[in-house]
Amino acid sequence: MPAWFDELTDAIDADEGEYRVCTACDAAVLPPRRCCPECGGDAFDTHPLPDRGTLRSFTEIHVTIPAFHGETPYTVALVEFDGRLTLTGQLRGANADDVAIGDDVAIGTERRDEGVRLVTFRPVA
Amino acid sequence: MVSIASAASTTYDTYPDRTSRELFAEAAADAFAATALDPPAVDAVYAGNFMGDLLEDQGHMGPLFADHVGCREAASVRVESACASGGAAVREAVHAIEAGAADVALAGGVEVMSIADIEHVTDALANAADEVYENEQGVTFPGIYALMARRYLHEFDATREDLAAVSVKNHANAVDNPLAQFRRELTVEEVLASKPIATPLVLYDACPISDGASVVLLVDDEFAAERGLDPSASVLGTGQSSDAVALQDRASITRTPAAERAAREAYTDAGITPDDVDVLEVHDCFTVAEVLALEALGFYDRGEGVRGAVEGETAVDGSLPVNPSGGLLGKGHPVGATGVGQIVELTKQLDGDHPNQVSGAEVALAHNVGGSGASTTVTILGGA
Repeated sequence: MPAWFDELTDAIDADEGEYRVCTACDAAVLPPRRCCPECGGDAFDTHPLPDRGTLRSFTEIHVTIPAFHGETPYTVALVEFDGRLTLTGQLRGANADDVAIGDDVAIGTERRDEGVRLVTFRPVA
Repeated sequence: MVSIASAASTTYDTYPDRTSRELFAEAAADAFAATALDPPAVDAVYAGNFMGDLLEDQGHMGPLFADHVGCREAASVRVESACASGGAAVREAVHAIEAGAADVALAGGVEVMSIADIEHVTDALANAADEVYENEQGVTFPGIYALMARRYLHEFDATREDLAAVSVKNHANAVDNPLAQFRRELTVEEVLASKPIATPLVLYDACPISDGASVVLLVDDEFAAERGLDPSASVLGTGQSSDAVALQDRASITRTPAAERAAREAYTDAGITPDDVDVLEVHDCFTVAEVLALEALGFYDRGEGVRGAVEGETAVDGSLPVNPSGGLLGKGHPVGATGVGQIVELTKQLDGDHPNQVSGAEVALAHNVGGSGASTTVTILGGA
C-alpha cells in the first residue's frame, strides 16, 4: 500500500484520523490530494475523522478477485462521516442480512498479507 | 461534417483461441469490404482497448492493429478509458477529421477476455476502479454497481423486479441479432433466480464475459463526395466528461454526472434535444446502469428510469427504443469494442438495415461508460 494510505490507517487505529475540507467550496477530500477536485483550490482545513459513520450502501460479494479468493461471501460498505466524507471498507461483526442503509457503524482497520491495510466497519447499538 | 463510410463488428462471443489482432482485423476487413475505401487511404487509427496488457500481455496496440488492417503508415494510437475506450476512440477520430488532420480515420475497439478465468477477468476489470480505496478493500467491479443499485432501490420507488425487466428486454432483443453472444430469452423469474454475484445484483443483471471487435470508418464528408463514397450515416455531435473514479468520492451514487455533462455537450453540438432522438444504444453493463443512463441522458426524471423497461416504453416498438441490439447484457461486452459496436448497431438502424429495425429512425444516440461512470462518451448520429 502507498505510504499515504498506511498513514491514514495508522491514524484511524490511533483515533487520530483526519480529513480535509476545501476552504473555497467545502468539498471533503482524503489523501493524497494536492488540490480540490471540485474547484481546483489548494487551501484546506483539517477536520477529525469521527470514529462512527452511517451506512450509505453495502453489497455482499460472491464473485471476487484473486486477492480475496476463498473469502466469499463478504460484505463491502460505503460509510459516510459528518454527512460529507465517505470511506469504503468491509463489514465486520455482522453480515449483509443484519444491516440496513442508515445504520451507525464504527470504523477500524485490519492488516492483511503483504502489508495490505483494510478499512473495517462494525455495527454499533 | 464527419460521415460514417462503413461500420462492422465481429460476432461477440467467446473465442479463447483467438487474439485481439485477429478480431480487430476481421472487423476492419468487413468494414473495408462495404465501402470503396482501401486501407492505405486511412490517415489515422484509433484503437480502443482496456486490458490487453493485463490479459494478453500485449501493449502498443495502435501500430499493431494498423499493421494488421493494412494501414501500416497511418498515425495510430491505443485509446484507453476502461469500458468507454471504444466511445473515446470514435470521438478522437471525429476530432481528427474535424480538425483537418485526417480525411479518413479508422476507429475500432477490441477486447479478448475469455482467455482468463473469472477471478482474473474480474481482477482486470477492477483496474477501472480506484486500486487503493476500492480494489484493495475487496470491492469488485460488479460490487461497485451493486452499491449503486442498492442505494437506488433505497432512494426511489423501484424494485428488484423492475431492474430485472431491463435484462429481460435486452436479452429478448439479442435473440434476433446475429452478432449477439447471448441469444436466449429470459423471464423475470429466471433473472431473479440466477446466482448472486454482488447483492442485490445477480448473474443475469450482468453482461457476460465477451471477446470481439468493432470498426467504423469515418470520413470527411467533402472527401467522401470527391471520392464518390456512399456514407451510411453522419456524426451530428459528440460529448465526453469525467467524474471521480472512486464511488466514495461522489456526492450521489444514484446519479452519473459525467453522462449528464457529456449528453448536454453532445445535444448542443448536434443542435438537438432528447425529444429528437429515435433510438438509443446505452451502456447496460448491469441492469441498473441502463436505468441511470436514461435518467442522465434526460429521458426520465431521477427515480423514474425503471419505468422504461417495465412499461415497455424502451422496447423496440416502444416510444423510446433502447438497446435494440440486445445491449451489453444480451449482445455481450468485449470491453474496448463496446463503444464502437454501439455505433455499428446504430449505423444499421439509420441505414434501415437492422434485425430489430426501429421504424423511421433518423437520429440515434450512443452512450458509453468507463468504470462506474468516471468517464462517459455520448455520440449522436443522423442519416447520411
